[in-house]
Amino acid sequence: MASVVLSEAEKVYIVHGIQEDLRVDGRGCEDYRCIEVETDVVSNTSGSARVKLGHTDILVGVKAEMGTPKLENPNEGYLEFFVDCSANATPEFEGRGGEELATEIVNTLYRIFSNESTIDVKSLCINPREHCWVLYVDVLLLECGGNLFDAISIAVKAALFNTRIPKVRVLEDEEGSKEIELSDDPFDCIRLNVDNVPCIITLSKIGCRHVVDATLQEEACSLASLLLSVTSRGTLTCMKKLGNGSLDPESIFEMMETGKRVGKTLHTSLQKILDKEESLGTTRQKVGFLG
Amino acid sequence: MALDHRRVPGPEESQAPLLYAVPGEAGTEVPGREAASLRPLLARAGLLSQAEGSAYVELGGGTKVLCAVRGPREAAEGRGRLLCEFRRAPFSARGARPRPGPAAAEALAPAVRLARYPRARLELTALVLQDGGSALAAALSAAALALADAGVEMFDLVVGCGLCRAPGPGGAWLLQPSEAEERAAAARLTVALMPGLNQVAGLLGSGQGGPPESWAQAVRLGLEGCQRLYPVLRRSLLRAAERRAAEAAQPPLASKSVT
Repeated sequence: MASVVLSEAEKVYIVHGIQEDLRVDGRGCEDYRCIEVETDVVSNTSGSARVKLGHTDILVGVKAEMGTPKLENPNEGYLEFFVDCSANATPEFEGRGGEELATEIVNTLYRIFSNESTIDVKSLCINPREHCWVLYVDVLLLECGGNLFDAISIAVKAALFNTRIPKVRVLEDEEGSKEIELSDDPFDCIRLNVDNVPCIITLSKIGCRHVVDATLQEEACSLASLLLSVTSRGTLTCMKKLGNGSLDPESIFEMMETGKRVGKTLHTSLQKILDKEESLGTTRQKVGFLG
Repeated sequence: MALDHRRVPGPEESQAPLLYAVPGEAGTEVPGREAASLRPLLARAGLLSQAEGSAYVELGGGTKVLCAVRGPREAAEGRGRLLCEFRRAPFSARGARPRPGPAAAEALAPAVRLARYPRARLELTALVLQDGGSALAAALSAAALALADAGVEMFDLVVGCGLCRAPGPGGAWLLQPSEAEERAAAARLTVALMPGLNQVAGLLGSGQGGPPESWAQAVRLGLEGCQRLYPVLRRSLLRAAERRAAEAAQPPLASKSVT
């Protein structure tokens, strides 16, 4: 992860402020920075989204391609994740520097999405054992400003919401050979149901309190963080401890409660914004990358 | 026709036969077990001659983990580093060869006093020989034992405990699941605790665990399990130290010439 060098005095300033529920930019311990979400930013994908969370900038593109179902699950499609830590994000990612972080993010995403209730993968199946939709989700880190996991999960959820998979029909000949026919209408597509897709909330332990959405400076003061994946109904689907420090069991229980609270609010605001953007339809003004 | 002995005459992609098996009618009945019962644990430290520290942990029911620590070795950077590698033997899991396991160096870092090893690196390799359930938890315990056996300065041992939640609504959390229970589980959790300090060193969970109260209950159960396993690991370290002292005290055997 990108790191900043902080002096002892700056760390003490941050820690003392957080004890009083006052962070450096004036937020409370459970407040997020201003999040900007825009979908359908890249035209060559089946779905895309861009999320700006303070100085963290994530771009996610989803491409739907036809493939063969996995042997263990012949009636389901699947998702493949790929994370690219671009050298633009921070100079530490140059060359192979970002690979460890990318592997960690990919493993976390796989862990969350391997849960069968997250995405209805049975709807991605075209022909059992023969054809299915494979969704390749590519995450690009454009800028790293702290709290990567949260921003990535929001972007992945928005991109999956935006994904349009073309409808296909399977025609069977007399000999039994199957042919796949793409529907003529380019707007005839299936949409994914992202109601159960969780959002990641990272809670960093700083001093004796925990904060949501830590900036790079705050991450440098925190020894341990807890990563929670919260669904819109308040259930947790993934839990992971990050960082080189240890956590008290009581803090873990408190963090889980905070994560559930914050997660529910985040889901309602995100769904509201996505629905509003969807309702604007073609009249929406695209902000793009220079906004 | 001459056989080409350089090529292995087998299919390029092979699958385990279990994937094609039709599930039998008489389902294997898993005998009911107490949720908080621990499987018997065997821990032995100091068994590899080529490593500074080593440990072998076996859980009743077939989980076998071997861990070795080398170091401290000289490193170029300023801070001490702990490099962990968790590997699974290709035949360790039932079914297909598994993908590489999760990195769990963050669970061991809180226990090691890395500040005492500037410009040094500690290399830890854990190998899961057989996965009979709770492999990650056993690997974390073995890793901490191996570090202690190597004489690395530590704040406390790290004890790992695995849990899984039975499928179905309102499933109970089971401590140290077996392989069958883990495969059928709705959610899995591994907790790593430093029992002497009562600090959670590592936490990794995934699945449909339900609301935070259910996860909190699971974490509490796991921490309790870790506290119960702590004396076993401590005894194994003491025994390894006694063995080493006894070997050092023995006079070297005189060589006999064969006539």
